Amino acid sequence: MSSNEELQETNTEARFAFKKEEASAFKSEKGLDEETIRVISEDKDEPDWMLERRLRALKQFQEMPMPTDWPEAPDLSEIDVDEIVPYIRPDIDTRGGVDDWTDLPDDIKDTFDKLGIPEAEKNALSGVGAQYESEIVYQNMQEQWEEKGVVFCDMDKAVQEHEDLVKEYFMTKAVPPSDNKFAALHGAIWSGGSFVYVPEDTTVEMPIQAYFRMNSEGMGQFEHTLIIAEESSEVHYIEGCSAPKYSEFNLHCGGVEVFVKENAHVQYSTVQNWSKSTYNLNTKRAIAEQDGRMEWISGSMGSKATMLYPSTILKGRGASDNHITIAFAGEGQDIDTGAKVYHNAPETKSTVESKSISKDGGRTNYRGLVHIADGAENSSTAVECDALMFDNESTSDTMPYMEINESKVDVAHEATVGKIGDEDIFYLQNRGLDDDDAKQMIVSGFIEPLTEELPIEYAVELNRLVELEMEGSLG
Amino acid sequence: MSVQVPATLSEETVEEISAARDEPEWLLEQRLAALAALDELDLPDVIQTPGRRWTDLESLDFESLVDPDNQSDTTERSDVEGATVLSFEQAIDDHEELLKEHFGSIVDPERNYLTALSAALFTTGTVVYVPEGVDAADVTIRAEMNSRSLFSHTLVITEQSASATILESIESGDETDGDRYFSNTVEVVAGENSYVQYGSLQNLDEDTYHVTRKHAETDTYATADWIEGNIGSRLTRSDVETTLAGEASESKIVGAFFGHEDQHLDVNARVWHENENTTADLVTRGVLDDVARSVYEGVQDVGEDAWNTNSYQRENTLMLSDESEADASPKLIINNHDTEASHSATVGQVDQEDMLYMTSRSIDPNTARNMLVEGFFVPVFEEIDVEEFRDDLSELIIARLD
Repeated sequence: MSSNEELQETNTEARFAFKKEEASAFKSEKGLDEETIRVISEDKDEPDWMLERRLRALKQFQEMPMPTDWPEAPDLSEIDVDEIVPYIRPDIDTRGGVDDWTDLPDDIKDTFDKLGIPEAEKNALSGVGAQYESEIVYQNMQEQWEEKGVVFCDMDKAVQEHEDLVKEYFMTKAVPPSDNKFAALHGAIWSGGSFVYVPEDTTVEMPIQAYFRMNSEGMGQFEHTLIIAEESSEVHYIEGCSAPKYSEFNLHCGGVEVFVKENAHVQYSTVQNWSKSTYNLNTKRAIAEQDGRMEWISGSMGSKATMLYPSTILKGRGASDNHITIAFAGEGQDIDTGAKVYHNAPETKSTVESKSISKDGGRTNYRGLVHIADGAENSSTAVECDALMFDNESTSDTMPYMEINESKVDVAHEATVGKIGDEDIFYLQNRGLDDDDAKQMIVSGFIEPLTEELPIEYAVELNRLVELEMEGSLG
Repeated sequence: MSVQVPATLSEETVEEISAARDEPEWLLEQRLAALAALDELDLPDVIQTPGRRWTDLESLDFESLVDPDNQSDTTERSDVEGATVLSFEQAIDDHEELLKEHFGSIVDPERNYLTALSAALFTTGTVVYVPEGVDAADVTIRAEMNSRSLFSHTLVITEQSASATILESIESGDETDGDRYFSNTVEVVAGENSYVQYGSLQNLDEDTYHVTRKHAETDTYATADWIEGNIGSRLTRSDVETTLAGEASESKIVGAFFGHEDQHLDVNARVWHENENTTADLVTRGVLDDVARSVYEGVQDVGEDAWNTNSYQRENTLMLSDESEADASPKLIINNHDTEASHSATVGQVDQEDMLYMTSRSIDPNTARNMLVEGFFVPVFEEIDVEEFRDDLSELIIARLD
């Protein structure tokens, strides 16, 4: 069976749920103190300024309170940072990842083969990175892009090879560690992730993809992604995430910073399928300059609890921002997600389209903030939230916040919540579909605004994940 | 974080207030319990976003604002045939059992610091009691505040199939120096199949901090509607709420505000759907001029047992000045999937096309703008049952526009 057939045919659940024996070259002690951070930084052979930033972030983490004062916030009481293994370096020779798939150790290769990564690379992508535990193990980019000066590499490698850029942009402008407690934690123990640099007037035509996999029980993954899109450039970055389910919790606490320069266009897509024992607490932020355009596309399917609010600061005149976010919460899941937009310049535009589905006692919440600063005249924002509920055990909340300091604006927010329409199901059943198929079809239609933004491989994957979520539990 | 209890407050203060009104023991005990709870209670929740707190209640200086011994008001109440409209003090003599049953049953005095302070210290207020089957139309309560601080407690009880439409107006009377504090608690007990519309129009002077909590609970088939108009005050914190406890009961919470200069208006509308077939409609329209700031929170909470719920919310804010600020947060909390719920919120300026339409018909821009602002409030006017209320609100809006 070719790996393509395997991708098509193997059971999606099995593809994500398999576990590998832990095999690592270096594993830090559980917990977090200055010593741990010094050890990680030393193992990575980092410059002093990075170690200093890590230590400063650690201090901020220790001083900041947990976000317990948020209304109806997910329960994070189980998270005990002292129980987390913050850093596991898989057993690989080449730091920064190999660039030939066949050079990967068998068990890691097998993992990503099962997840369908190499196949996707061949068909639809400009470049691929794969992170296993705390380090990027594979990184490759098509030559034509490298020749144009596009950089796509492991974040750790970027610290060494693009030090000036990283020093300028890394957690200084978009996501300072002081932003929130988990951003500070991230700043202290980040490891891996991607660095993307697109030079002026360059359009990377096919998406770049990174895939993140946590394999070990009780570990934390803290990858950092930094994207710099220079003037009039264009890039689409896709990340996928998964982990097998363990009884002990895992923590994913990534950081994403995107710089959209004048007239540039960045699309950032995420299909998140962490196991249902993972806490997913991410901080993602973009800064868009004049006429820049940022798009955040997020599908949150996995995790036990997610708190994720991709945000964009519209800094330059005429900058725009679009969010499409889909959340699917099944049994035991609390998906608290949304969007944040700051309109800090005139003629800026934003749209947010949020779709959420809750079933079997799951909870979804749209939590979003739109801020229009004084002077951001002729700006407009439209937020639309739709929620679908399957049953009476589930919860669907909507909590938008609007702060409007400028009168020459057009601000609109709309939300609806409802159940799956009996009439819709009846209609489909009349045409020969059974109840389950009818519901699946309605859900597929409901999330279509997201799937149509993704390359076909991802769209298929997402639909399959939704089917999986719905399998057998419909009555 | 609990709040400093003013040194001017003691059990003696509360005992004196109670004794001066010849109150029964149970009421004194409730007042003292509220006083004792102050130590442990917090101010009501205020919305926070990164780096911002939408309303600053912490800086209220209760020490200087609260003067419990010298409360004074002038309140006129209309007589309505078949129904009881009395001052709270008078109602204790005439209807003690009724008050004992319902006082504090809808607004828990210990809900927060402000409700407890009010329950401990109130000296005025009204009891409206409408017996079974009686229609009490156009009940008017007109209150003037004549002291540095005033605490009012009002109780409305409609028995089975009774109805009441009420206008309460609050203004400042005698001039006093310095800042003032007005606290208004209103409880509505809407009996089976009864109808209540409680309209409140606040036009206090702009040295006054105004805090109000109004809460209704509906029995089966009952309707409890609120009209909340806020024009005056320096700072208003208004919480208007309905618990739809009875099957097939309904509530509308309609709000209108018009802030100017440096007024801060924090208005909240909340509804809890606790039973089957209940319906709620929240409508708020607000206008802001100068450097005024509005804060709005609307909550539609659908409980697990609230099958077949219909719940709607709309909030629209019009900004007349670039220096004003409008913050809004309409929230949906849905725990039953058999629900049709929606909310929407908009913020913007007077529609430029409408302006063009009118100015091109030779209406001067100022008049055109004023007409459009008046028109903006029409959805609120349409809901008002008491004609006097509609006229008063309209006058206040026009006066502010000039």
